[in-house]
This record gives sequence, structure tokens and C-alpha cells, in this order.
Amino acid sequence: MSNVELLPPLLIAAPLLAATLPIVLGLWTDRTGWPIAAVTTTGLFGAAVALASAVYTGTDVPVTHELGGYPRTYGIQLVADQFSVLIALLVTAVATGVLVYTRQGGPRGNTFYTAYLLLTGGLLGITLTGDVFNLFVFLEITSIATYALVASGDGPESAVAALKYLILGTMAASMYLIGVAFLLMATGTLNMIELAMAIPAAERPTLIRAGFGFIAVGFVTKVAQWPLHTWQPSAYQQAPDGVTPLIAALVSTASAYAFGRLIVTVFGVDYLTAMPNAAAIVLTIGCVSVLAGTVLAVIQTEVKRMLAYSSVSQFGLVIAAYGVVIAGSSETAFIGAAIHLLGHGLLKAGLFLGAALVARSYGARTVDEYAGLAKARPVVAGAMAVLLLSLVGVPPGVGFVGKWYIALGAVQSQLWPVAAVIFLSTMLTLAYAARLLEKMYFTPPAALDWPRTREPVATDGGDTTVSIGMLAIVVIAAVGAVALGFAGGTIAGLLEPFLIEVFN
Amino acid sequence: MIELLTSHYTYVLVFVLLGLGIYMTIASENLVKKLIGVSLFQTAIFLFFISMAYIEGGSAPIVPAEADPGRLMVASPLPQVIVLTAIVVGIALTAVGLALVIRIYAEYGTLREDTLREVRADE
Amino acid sequence: MVADIRPLAAVLVSAVAIVLIIASHRRPNLREGWSVLAALAKFGLVVSMLPAVMDGTVFRWSLKESTGIQFLAGIDFALRADPLGIFFALLASFLWIFTSFYAAGYMRGLSEHDQTRFFASFAASLSAAVGIAFAANLVTIFVFYELLSLVTYPLVAHNEDEEARIAGRKYLTYTFFGGGVFLLAGTVMIYWLTSLVGGPTLAFEAGGMEALAAAAQVEPVYAQAAFFLLIAGFGVKAALMPLHSWLADAMVAPTPVSGLLHAVAVVKSGAFGVARVILEVYGPGLIYDLPLDVPGIGEVGLNIPVAIVAAFTLTAASIIAMRKDHLKRRLAYSTTAQLSYIVLGLSLLHPYAIVGALFHIPAHAFAKLTLFFCAGAIHVETHTDYISEMAGIGKRMPLTMSAFTIGAAGMAGLPPIAGFVSKFYMLIGAGDVGGSYWLFAGALLLSAVLNIAYFWPVVYTAFFESEDRHDAKPLLEFPEGGLIQSYAATADDESVAADGGEPADTSGIENEPHAADTDDYEYAVDKYPSDHTTADDTDAPSQHTDARATEASTRDDHDDHDDHDDHDEAVAAVDHHGDHDDHLTGGPPAGGWPRRSPRTESTWLMLAPIAVIATGAVVLGIGPDYAVFLELATRIVEGVFGMPFEQLGDVPFGELMTEVTN
Repeated sequence: MSNVELLPPLLIAAPLLAATLPIVLGLWTDRTGWPIAAVTTTGLFGAAVALASAVYTGTDVPVTHELGGYPRTYGIQLVADQFSVLIALLVTAVATGVLVYTRQGGPRGNTFYTAYLLLTGGLLGITLTGDVFNLFVFLEITSIATYALVASGDGPESAVAALKYLILGTMAASMYLIGVAFLLMATGTLNMIELAMAIPAAERPTLIRAGFGFIAVGFVTKVAQWPLHTWQPSAYQQAPDGVTPLIAALVSTASAYAFGRLIVTVFGVDYLTAMPNAAAIVLTIGCVSVLAGTVLAVIQTEVKRMLAYSSVSQFGLVIAAYGVVIAGSSETAFIGAAIHLLGHGLLKAGLFLGAALVARSYGARTVDEYAGLAKARPVVAGAMAVLLLSLVGVPPGVGFVGKWYIALGAVQSQLWPVAAVIFLSTMLTLAYAARLLEKMYFTPPAALDWPRTREPVATDGGDTTVSIGMLAIVVIAAVGAVALGFAGGTIAGLLEPFLIEVFN
Repeated sequence: MIELLTSHYTYVLVFVLLGLGIYMTIASENLVKKLIGVSLFQTAIFLFFISMAYIEGGSAPIVPAEADPGRLMVASPLPQVIVLTAIVVGIALTAVGLALVIRIYAEYGTLREDTLREVRADE
Repeated sequence: MVADIRPLAAVLVSAVAIVLIIASHRRPNLREGWSVLAALAKFGLVVSMLPAVMDGTVFRWSLKESTGIQFLAGIDFALRADPLGIFFALLASFLWIFTSFYAAGYMRGLSEHDQTRFFASFAASLSAAVGIAFAANLVTIFVFYELLSLVTYPLVAHNEDEEARIAGRKYLTYTFFGGGVFLLAGTVMIYWLTSLVGGPTLAFEAGGMEALAAAAQVEPVYAQAAFFLLIAGFGVKAALMPLHSWLADAMVAPTPVSGLLHAVAVVKSGAFGVARVILEVYGPGLIYDLPLDVPGIGEVGLNIPVAIVAAFTLTAASIIAMRKDHLKRRLAYSTTAQLSYIVLGLSLLHPYAIVGALFHIPAHAFAKLTLFFCAGAIHVETHTDYISEMAGIGKRMPLTMSAFTIGAAGMAGLPPIAGFVSKFYMLIGAGDVGGSYWLFAGALLLSAVLNIAYFWPVVYTAFFESEDRHDAKPLLEFPEGGLIQSYAATADDESVAADGGEPADTSGIENEPHAADTDDYEYAVDKYPSDHTTADDTDAPSQHTDARATEASTRDDHDDHDDHDDHDEAVAAVDHHGDHDDHLTGGPPAGGWPRRSPRTESTWLMLAPIAVIATGAVVLGIGPDYAVFLELATRIVEGVFGMPFEQLGDVPFGELMTEVTN
């Protein structure tokens, strides 16, 4: 057993085990959480990079590991292939980056970092697992950690938001579990690769169809697609500022990744193409979410809430891309979905970090309060502007690359209404992005608000200092968003072997 | 239909329970009852797994070491394992949910969602 | 194809300048120095490529070849300096040199805020414009097209007031709709179409992409749809109706922006894109051969709808321009019309018309830049924006108004100004094809008349009228349909008797009984400077206040104020944009325009560019063979049609089109 094969279990086990350390060490001292989390996530990032280099350059791909040495028929297998490593890199990078903010700005305390590490571990589990039931367990680990993190916000509103999220999230995961039950009933296995072989041969396709239906509903809720998105805006808004970037960038992304994984690896594109209505339903959900999410984003006054609704519409693009994958067996749309997942994660992490910085140092939380930000905080405003424009899809930002592949896939599959929605989504995204940009750059702060008399509504005792690191991480996100804009061809090249395998 | 009821009545029962759970979650204004609904929903899924694994005349999947493995009829162990895991997950979720409810109650003094909405609107 | 870094360097030189401009924001002289230096460097880089390009060399820089990074799967991020690209880059970079001097003079003259942002965005716009010029494929051009929309937005919204913000919103909406929706959709469709018949490609090829011609045989309907998507995408920036209205609103931007960007770089990038699509994506042959089935008429080439839209735009915009009192808005509508000349010429597909259209890009650029510079100089010196306030301004700003006359003549296509040459070629082209194309020739001629109709009043009022004695502007001030009335009242003339109490004059706006009293001064601003001319500090203030005192003795404030109210209402009925809001700051000082010599009328920072550009317009018109642009235009056409320009005239049009397809 080579060392590379140990990396997947390490990536999952290390954060889960490290999550206990802050509590244990907290018996003696309070300030251990951040160093432990920092060391762990940095290590994880390094491990993910090592794994990625092994996966993208090595010959022995995918890297798999059977937990406990049981064969995959009934054991649990961890799989690191080209698709999952991409998400693992995003998860570890964002988890490391957000820590830079939480050191001074975020919620403090050891329990916070316990939840933080649990969340990271759960997300990596979702990313790397090769077993559909194991996926459920990691979904729930992620969810529980997220509920706790959302509820750790100041004030009772966050508890209400967390409870709302908990009820919908649990329902969603349960729906997924029912779907898994149907699959198990039809095929007798839970391993993704075994399922992929067993599903086309299954005797009772009705069970598979029912299973796909429940799984789709579950993930549509988890990814926060209209009309099941209602948990998401309040959860993002009420979560502490240091937490929102993490959950906004990663939690829904991991769920969307899992959905994509199930579509291409477990069910298989050909099987789903033949399944009546599967493509139409997924496409409709995605397209409607794009439109509904943007309309709702435009009418928001709170910046965090606006960005949350923006996530609804951006994930709508990803789900629509999955629809295109199913309807047209389009590899291009799948590349688009993968890049958009990656890009959106990075953009939203940067944007929410930026919003957190602004709230902390400028005391602005609503769109109107952002007036004059460009003069007062030029660096944050500039970085946020770049991120917003990238989200709109202005080239050469990462948002454009994802949109290009998705649109190309839709056109290649001749799904004209979908293509129209994707092209129009640029305009719709612009509608709310430009609103914020205009406030930041071209609206002088209102005379009454300036100089600000009221205290900034910072979450932690009115500490309004901004460290260089906090600023740097937002700028790095912005630079990364542009740099990834040039990586469209590279990422497509990296995913190529995976696509050949699943689309054969 | 009749045949379904006679041969697969557990499934019917399970789906009735699922419906009850989801209805309770949506319709009840009481937060604790909502959580009970969620638990009911999950429990129904557990039963679904269990009944799926059941075979006529099979025993629990505990295989004595000395017996001839081929002769003994046991229920599939996989769903049992799944249910055990899922129960643990479910308990954790209920615990977190109840903790949140307690916090909400301490803050707003109500467990009803409609009252809660009014109280929050007033603030 | 020669690999060369210069196309990239030409794009990036102003991008580097942005950093330097921002870094030196505390030292305005250094900052403007960077602008000028970048402009010179950019022009130098473009010129250094010019001789080789004229000899047929194409310089090319590709991201993949130089760094190994692939921009998108199957698509390279590539720049290349071919004749068409260098044509546009040369124009933009040449004019930027003078505009950067002018902009310095203008911004300082008005003590504008946020000058650093202004100059940085300006440099960025030029980067993007040259990027558009040198883009080697549709995705690259799309990237720069979007960036151009983006970096010009701060310039449009520069004033940071409500009007500028609304204009900015409109600008973003229109341009992103054009770029992000239409152009992207068209590009994706071309990529898909070419992938149907082999390897997908988006690279421009003189005379049209071969793969696309093959694909158009397979999927003619989608090929047509993609054509119109691309034309619509570029047409937004080229201000083709009905996508034109952002341009007039964008005139809230400072005048150098209106001049270089909204008459040259930005809008021409749209026209340039149309040229790329017609000449190097589809190619004239394919456009001609891809029949569009119109019910009731039969099959027509794809170019006909475009030509019809362009012909309509140039006529309609000219007519609208006649009714605009705001000088910059009138110029904006003139730009809309003139850009349609270019699109029309291109869409006629005839080689002569194409040469004319291409040559019209610099011809219009020089003339229109002159006009905008003049409008800006007038604004800086006298704060006058409205033509109805410009009576007699010729003696205040003789050189500026002379240059304005030259520019206006160029617009109308009078020899020996550059506009004549281009229109001449277009008319020959249209006539050579004959048939229904005479209609387009007719539109061109009609528009020339209309051009005179809307520019002559400006020149006339500036030179041949005086502030105390001038005619009403019938098209501006009277209700549609006209009204025969002339009034001549002096600033000090108190005789209100002349009005004769004709309430009908005022198109029913004034209902109050005492209206007759003020009737005569319905356009009081023509004669009275406002009470609120506080900003008018460039003119001798003492003289101003003296005059004000005498005036105040004869008319009380209240009365005067009423006049303005009436006036605003009346004009709002005429001018749909109600753009008289800032009316109260302009107009002649109470004593009339002082006479100034050309040397003292403004700062040299503004006058020198005006003189140079106006001279350029004349030079282009007198010796088009010696100025490089016409030669480049013929080179481009030769490349497209694949034969020497002299022979093109001998080949019948229909044959020419089929030749090209092969």
C-alpha cells in the first residue's frame, strides 16, 4: 500500500479527530482552538495538494482506499478521482483561508473550532466517499456542524434560522436516505461503482426511478433550489460573519458535487437520459432557480441576504448544467458545472469575507450603507468589485469560464430555452451586482450617516480592527477568481480522463 | 391493490408513517411537534430498511462460527447496520434541534411558530 | 503569421499605465504625464508594426504558445495585428495622444473630482479598445468587449449624481445585454456550428471562416441566427436602432469621454466588430449566399436586414438630432447616424462600399472628435451646453467654432473634409450594385442633407447671430409641425408689447392669466443669463455683476423666476429627455460674449488638440491616398476578396460574391 492511498482516509479522519482536541485541551486553556484548527486545515490543504498531484499526474487513478480492508461490495471505499479532488482542493483551501479571518474577527472559543473541524471533515467525507450510505452519514455530520455554527451567531435570530435549516436539512437528508433505500432494494449494494454496474441491469426499474426521485428532491433542498431554498438565506444571514463564508462556499457546493457524482457515476448519464422526465425535471428546477434566485436577490436590502439569494441562482446554473448533462449527454456542460462549483465556491467565500470585513470595519450591512465604501475602504471595495464582476460572468473571471461551458453544452444539446436562461442570467446577475457596485463607487455616503455616529454592529464587542491577513485573504480570493478565469482549458484537461470514463 | 396490502403491508405502513411525519412537520405550529414529526419521518425510514431486509424464516444475521454458513438463513445484515448508524445520526439531530428549541424558548418565551413570527416582527 | 509580443504590448501598455496613474494620484502632473507617455508608447508600438502589416505580415501573440495556458478548451486567447486590427488600433492610439492632453485641460478647467479614477479608467478603456482591435478570435474579442463595457462605466457615472447613475445603469444594461447576452450567444453558436463540420474554431479568417461556410450548409437556420446575434451584440455599441438610446444618455460623462470613447473607441469597437463579423467571420460571400426567406418578398441576403436597420437608423437619428438643443446630445445622435453609415457600407458587401465604410471609421473619428472637443471647450470656458444659448459665441471662441465648422462639414460629407471620401466610396458601391441598393444610396444622400440641417444652425448661430439679436430655433422651440414666428428682444429690452398675447404660441402650456406678461420671454434664457450663474466664473465677473444689477433694476426676481419655470416646462415638452435641468448655468454673460482672440479663448491644452484633430480631418479629406487609412482599407478589402483592388471594380457584383465563397 503506497502512501498516496492513505491520504483519502487521512483527509477525513484527521479533522474529525482533531475536532475533539479543542474540547479536550479546553479543559486547561481556552485559546487552543485556533492553532489546532489552523494546523489541521493547513495540513489538510497540503495533503489535498499531494493527493491532487498524485491523481492528476499519476497513472494509478483513481486513488482508492477500502476502509478496514473490507472489499467494496460491502465495505466502505474512499475514492479520489479527478472530480472529487477538485472539490477537495476547494474545501481545504477555503477552510484554511477563512481561518485567517476568524483569528481576530470570527466567533472565538474552542467549541467553535470543534464544529469548524467537524464541518471540514464532513465536507471532505462527502467529497471522497465512494459509498452512498456513507455519503448520507457525512451529509449529516456536515449538517449538524453547520446547524451548530449557524446557531453560534449572536442573538436569538440565529437559533431560529438554524432550527429552520435543521428541519429542512434533515428532511432533505432523509429523502436522500429513502432514495438510497430504494437503490439498495433494487440492487443490493451501496457502493457507487457496484451500483453503477447493477443499476442498468436492475430487474425493477421503478425502484430505481423512485430512488432517483427521492435523491433529487433531497439534493435540491440541500443545494437550496427554489422553491426549497427557504432555509438558506436566513441561515447565511444569521450565521456569524466568520462562518458564512465557509458554509456559503462549501456546504451547498459539496451537496451539489454529490448530486453530480450520483448522476454521472452511480446512475450513469445514459441510464438517466432514458429515464422519462428526469432531464426535464432537473432542467426546470435549475432554470427556475436561476430566475427566481436573481429576482429575490435584486429586492434584498441586506448584503449577506442578497448574496445568499445569489447562491440560489448560481447553483441553479449548476443544476441546469446537470440537466443538460442528462438531456444531452454533454461532457461540456459537466465541465461547466464542475468549474462553476469551484468558481462559485471561491467567489462566495471571497464575497462573504468581504462583507464580513465591511461589516466589521465600516459597520455596513445593507446595500444602502455601502455608499461611499470605495473611498473609505478602497482595497476591500476593489476586491469585492472584482469578485462581483466575476460572478456576473465578465471575462476573464472564473464565472465566465463556467458559464461558457454550461452555455456551450446547452447549445450543443440544442436546448434553446436553457441556453436562453443561461445567457440571460448574466443580465440578471448584473442587476444585483451593479446595484452594489453603484453604491460602493458612485454614491456618496448620505450626509446624515457621515461621519458615522452609531457604533458598527460588529459581532464581537465592537472590535473593528482589520488585520492585514483579513484583507489579504479577500484580495487573494479576487486574484484567484481572475487567475482561474485563465484556467478554463487546464481544468477541462484535468477532468478529461474522468469524463472519458463516465461518458465513454 | 389488495395483494399489495396483504404481501407488502409493512411498506404501506411505512409510507403512511412517512406521510404523517412530513405532515406534522409542515402543519404543526409547535416547534417541538415539528421535531417530533422529523423524528417520526426518520423512524419510518428505519422501518423501511428493516422491512426490506426481512425474509421469511430468516434469523438475525448473527452467524455462529461453527455452523455451516450456507445452511443458515439470515436477514441481510447491511440494512441493519445502516439503521444502527442512522439511528445514531437521528438522535444527534434531535438533540441539536431540541437544544435550539430551548434557546428559542428562552429568548422568545414561545414554542409556537406563528407567535414567534409575530414576536420577531415586533422587534 | 509571425509570433510577436508587440500586439500584447500595445494592449498592456495602458494597463501598466493604470497602475502608475493610481500610484501617482497625489501628483497630477506626473499622473497626466503617464497618460501621455502611455499614449505615445501605444501609438509607437502600433506604428512600429504598421509597415510590415502593410506588406502582408501578420503579427500574432497567443497565450497558449507563449505560456502553455489554454484559455478555454479548444480556444486560444490570441492577439494578432492584421490590417483590419491595426487600422482600428492606429486610429484609437493616435487620437488618444491628443485626447490625453485635452482631457488634462478639460478636467483641470472644471476642477473635476476623482481625476485619478477618470484617467485610470480612460487608460483601461484604451487597453480594451486596442484589445478589441487585435483580438484574433471571437472569444478574445468578447473578453475585451466586456472589459470595455466595464471600464467605461466609471467614466459615464463619473459625476456621481442621480442623472449620471441612471445613465450608468442604462449604459451597463445595454452594453452587457449586447456583449454578455447577444455576443456570447452568437460566439457559442459559431463554436458549435463549426464543431459540426470538424474541429471547432473561432479564429477570424479574411473572407470568412471556411468551417463556418461548410457548417452553414448543414445548419443554415442556426447560422443565420448566429449572424444576427453577433450583429446585435456589436450593434449595441455601434448604437444601431433600437439599441441606441444609451449613447445619448452617456453624454453626461465628461466631454473627453464623449469624444474619444463615445465617438471613437467604444462605439467604433461596435462598428469594428460588425466589420469583423461581416468580413472575417461570415465573409461577404456567405452572407450573400445564405438566403433569408422573408414572407411576401422572397429570399434576400442576410445583409439586407442589417442594411435596412442601418439605413433607418441613420435617417431617424439625423431627424432626432435636429430637435436636440443640448449640443452634446445632438452630437450623440449624429454619432448614432454616422455609425450607421459604417454599418450600412459594410452590409452592402460591395468592395467599394466596404472601403468607404472602413474609411469612414477614421473620417468620422477625426471630425466627431473635433466637434466634441469644441463642445467641451465651450463647456469649460462658458458653461454653455445648449445651442439656443450659443448665439454669437463665435466671437468668444473663434478658433473653436471654426474647428467646429470644419468638423460639421466633414459630418455632412462636404469636400475637402474626410467624410466626403468615405461617402463617395459608399455611394459608388451602392450604385454599382444597383437595383434596390439605390434605396440605400438615397438614404445616404438624404442623411447628408439632414446633417447640414442640424449642424448648420449651430454654425449659423455662433457666427452670424448675436446674443441680443437672433432667431428662434424653429425645430427646437416650436411644437412639432413648426410655427412661423421670430422674435428679437434684447437683454435690456423691456418691451413686452411684442408678444401680442398669443397663448397659442406656447402650445397650451401656460394657462395662468398673467401668462401673457411672460410670453415673450418664453425662452428667456436665450436672452437672460440666469440669476444662478454662480459657476460662471471664467468670464469677467465684475462685468457680469454690473450687468446683473442693471437687469435686476428692470425686472424683479420673481418675474424672472417664473420665466424659467415656464421655460423649463416648455422645453420639456419639446425635449423628451428634459435635459434642460442644468440650463441655468450656461448662456452668454449679461453684457454679451466678450471678443477673444484665438490665442486667449482657452488653454493650449485644449486648443492644440482641437487644431490638430481638425487639421487631421482636412488632411484625410484632401490627401486620402497619402494618409495611411485609405491604403489600409483597400488592403483589408483585397484580403477579403482575394484580388487586387483595381480589378475589383471590373468584376460584376454577383460574380464577386460567388468568387469569395470559393
